[in-house]
Amino acid sequence: MNRKNFITKSGVALGGGILAPYILPSGSLFAKSGSQKADHVVLVMFAGGVRQQESVLARYLEDSQGVSGAAGNIMPNLFEGDAPTKKIAYGTSTLGLPDGSEPIPKLLSQSMEKSGLLFPEVKAQSAGHYVGLNTLLTGNVSYSQGLKVRPAYPTIFEYLRKHAGFKATDTWFIANGIGNSTPLLNSSNHKDYGLNFGANMFAAPVTFSSSGKEVLGNSKTYSRTDLEPMYFMKNFLDQSFALTQDQITSISNTDEERTRIKDFIKSVFEKQQAGQLAAPPVSNSGDAKNIMYAAEVLREFKPKMLAVNISGVDSCHSNFTGYLQSLHRADHITGWLWQYIQNNIPEMSGNTIMIVAPECGRNETPNPILDQNDWVSYDHSDANALRVWSLMLGKGVPNMRVGSSAQPVGRLTDIVPTIADIFGILDPLTNAGLIDPLAKSLYSRI
Amino acid sequence: MRNLNKVSALITVACLIVSCKKEQHIGFGIENTNVYEDKSRKTKKKNDAEYISILYTNLYQTAISPNQLYKTQNVLYSIGDQDVASEMLLSNYFNTGSIQLPSNALMRQDIEAFVINTYKRFYLRYPSEGEKAFFKQYILKNNEVSVEMVYTAFATSDEYQYY
Repeated sequence: MNRKNFITKSGVALGGGILAPYILPSGSLFAKSGSQKADHVVLVMFAGGVRQQESVLARYLEDSQGVSGAAGNIMPNLFEGDAPTKKIAYGTSTLGLPDGSEPIPKLLSQSMEKSGLLFPEVKAQSAGHYVGLNTLLTGNVSYSQGLKVRPAYPTIFEYLRKHAGFKATDTWFIANGIGNSTPLLNSSNHKDYGLNFGANMFAAPVTFSSSGKEVLGNSKTYSRTDLEPMYFMKNFLDQSFALTQDQITSISNTDEERTRIKDFIKSVFEKQQAGQLAAPPVSNSGDAKNIMYAAEVLREFKPKMLAVNISGVDSCHSNFTGYLQSLHRADHITGWLWQYIQNNIPEMSGNTIMIVAPECGRNETPNPILDQNDWVSYDHSDANALRVWSLMLGKGVPNMRVGSSAQPVGRLTDIVPTIADIFGILDPLTNAGLIDPLAKSLYSRI
Repeated sequence: MRNLNKVSALITVACLIVSCKKEQHIGFGIENTNVYEDKSRKTKKKNDAEYISILYTNLYQTAISPNQLYKTQNVLYSIGDQDVASEMLLSNYFNTGSIQLPSNALMRQDIEAFVINTYKRFYLRYPSEGEKAFFKQYILKNNEVSVEMVYTAFATSDEYQYY
């Protein structure tokens, strides 16, 4: 080899050596195409089929049950507007007073609408829960999405991990149970993405249930000295078996991340035992418990992206009073989660954007089921069930209201490009060509 | 009638003589052997219920109850990283005390036999020479390696998820 060749090859080798560690899983060196708007995003998938009328339109019983003079806002943490004054049944119950007659005091000094960006009339692409949840996480209309299978199109977690280089514990999905295929939403089965790029996930009410405690709670806390040989031997065995990419069935946490997750699970059981879990003032619902565990994950891992779903309002199929109470509580726990981030997680406070959006709406016309107050119930299948809203607040988010009932702006598929925009990976997301072609970042809808 | 009886008796005796043959033993020169799995043929993934019940039976030498299986299945399904879930489940089992394990002293007394038995116990196959050499050397050189650690590595490994 002559001197010139030697210098050229050495230069190439040196350059490769320096750059190789920075090459992203996608194979590109600099994936981020735009400036990052915030370091953390929390997506609240709200809350099991919400009618515009009782939420953003603040109509309470006026439209749904035809009670004249009974309009009002029952979601004071999310939206502006005075509370109803007539037939109050959405609150908590106190002995000696009518059921639900005590509204939960507002937690936030200023509603999310007043401090953020509200799209009051957004078009949902499906009237169903699972497809709606898929849409929120994949940005695809997902018309052909089946139950009991992972999303067919990549989730925002996978885009972020592949194109922004996030590690597994940077992305979390907190499901509110193991029913309705929700635990499958942490990754798609798309061949270019998949579980290898998936988010960590807890179906928290099950993981941290009494069964969870029985199955996991007595596990040993291994020291690093114990774990190293275990992982070393396991890695040898795994390399020897050599699964192909499509056979991988677990998220690619590093050994260190796995240890941290195990320690976290144990710590939650300990806190539970000691009654030390942070909780909203009113926490007597499954949704509240799920939000509490999401708060624990946020506090421990400070993930860049966390999505949590709540679904209590789905009781509206057969109990309108229960629906109103769940809606009021969903507002309460969402407000609490935002407050918890601001007050208890300094690393995320002032540096987080929260997005809140229902996965689908609910019907305009009721079904014939009456509840304890003789109020009719609502399913979700007609055009009204495709009417939803979206709300965004936090770092750098302008305070605006975009669109109206008469002039809808935005689609539910906008959430994924919006998150990609926040993290500066809108271009690779769009170039992948796997989201709804009509979807746009909410920043470009303003 | 008497003649008929005699004829019948003669026919019966003749049939018995013709039909009774000495049993022939045919050998094909094959020796009896135990059949074990081949790593390359494990292509089917165990489902959660299979994994849990096989693991439980392996460690406790008794079947898991349906109720316990159902609970365990749900809890494992509720965790995104299945490695985390199965490591914690296993560690929980190891903490119960009634698990059937060889002692560390026994392992160190004859490491090769321990490695072969562990491969048979978890993978239903013999280790390759390379695998055997790796474990023998690793256990020998690292005094802190215990049976529990080796079992955890096997039970949470990818190959144990397949059959």
